[in-house]
Amino acid sequence: MGEDERLDLELHRRVSQRDRGAFDELYRRYVRQAYGVALRVTSQDLIAQEVVQDAFLALWRAPEAFDPARGGFRSFFLSLVHHRAVDAVRREERLRRRTERAANLEPATGEDPAEDVVEDAYLRVRRKEVRAALGTLPAAQRQVLEMAYFGGMTQVRIADELGIPIGTVKTRTLAAMRKLRVTLQEE
Amino acid sequence: MSEDHERIEELLAGYVLLSLEGEDAAEADRLLSEHVPGCDRCRRTLADLQAVSGDLALATAPADPPETMLPRIHKAMDEVPLQGRRGRRGALVAVAASAVALVAMGGLALVLGNRLSDAQTRAGTALEILSAMQSSGSQPNNVAPMGATPPQSGMVEVSAPEVRTIYVAAKDCPEPAPGHAYQLWLGSDGEWVPVGPMFWPEDGVVLLEVPGVDVSKYDAIWITEEVEGVPPTEPSTQWHSWAGQLA
Repeated sequence: MGEDERLDLELHRRVSQRDRGAFDELYRRYVRQAYGVALRVTSQDLIAQEVVQDAFLALWRAPEAFDPARGGFRSFFLSLVHHRAVDAVRREERLRRRTERAANLEPATGEDPAEDVVEDAYLRVRRKEVRAALGTLPAAQRQVLEMAYFGGMTQVRIADELGIPIGTVKTRTLAAMRKLRVTLQEE
Repeated sequence: MSEDHERIEELLAGYVLLSLEGEDAAEADRLLSEHVPGCDRCRRTLADLQAVSGDLALATAPADPPETMLPRIHKAMDEVPLQGRRGRRGALVAVAASAVALVAMGGLALVLGNRLSDAQTRAGTALEILSAMQSSGSQPNNVAPMGATPPQSGMVEVSAPEVRTIYVAAKDCPEPAPGHAYQLWLGSDGEWVPVGPMFWPEDGVVLLEVPGVDVSKYDAIWITEEVEGVPPTEPSTQWHSWAGQLA
């Protein structure tokens, strides 16, 4: 376990004891990334703000929901934000309008306009690793993964959009996830 | 039961990406409750896939939230101990619509210790929920799935101070593992107390009514999966759970 993961665990432990300073530090560490993914999925400022705000409040009100035995805090929290963002998109039935714009999704492996903004080095390093790993995926695998994760689309919808069998969507998705896991574990 | 692990892993990949629907979602729920907990390979695979899902968030460019966000969060945190935070109107309308959709659907079952399922009781409970929602001061609250709990299984809590009754409704609720049941908890400032008997969904539907509860004393709700027959002293976090705030 790295130093940053240990710090996350310590901060989370203190949040569980109602330590507001620790909460603010976790906020500082993750809010920009959380807001980034919420914006990417929802495409709407106000909804993204609501998603991120609710995710941090959920962390404060039920910190026990994070179980260190099941993985790292960063993964837990950013997944929580992503889940809430996808839920928000679907709940408000904006998916159809978003999918019409799916072809214009910015490439996840592209340049980061906020790269020069000060942020914790460990997130910046990991971001480069994740983007590099995405770049190694065959285009067809990356496409279904991005449509699911960033577009919030179901596999049925992806199959429909791309005109391919749903079995192919499933196969490509799993292959992409497996390859990412192997690549990122090697980092 | 012998399972095809390639197929299972395809479902788990779709599950962690929230991209399953219909029969695939139901099959994933079944696997997560019946197969995965006892299969080392699947537990590892699920953990690996969830780690990748968490990492994928890093592929997006970080963005600066408005400077007002942290003060807003602090304010909401401060409001919790007394009356709780009143939700934003848009969110409330969405939740209210969900609750109405739930009570309007067929096949509702009252789950309150004993399984009461006659049509008259179901209709009566649905009317009580509608009545509670229409009373002044009532607030429908979203009780969101946590961790690996199926994302489509969100619950709705409805309560009104004057009726001193709390209602919880859900559809697409996964069955707890064999020998397990669900427990409702109410919390105040981080302290949780179990409320009412353990319960189970019926055909994925939960319609829970717990009378005699002064909801104004609490600021948060948590529903957790627990071992049946063993009175829990604190909420378990390793299985299905849903959490939300009380407005």
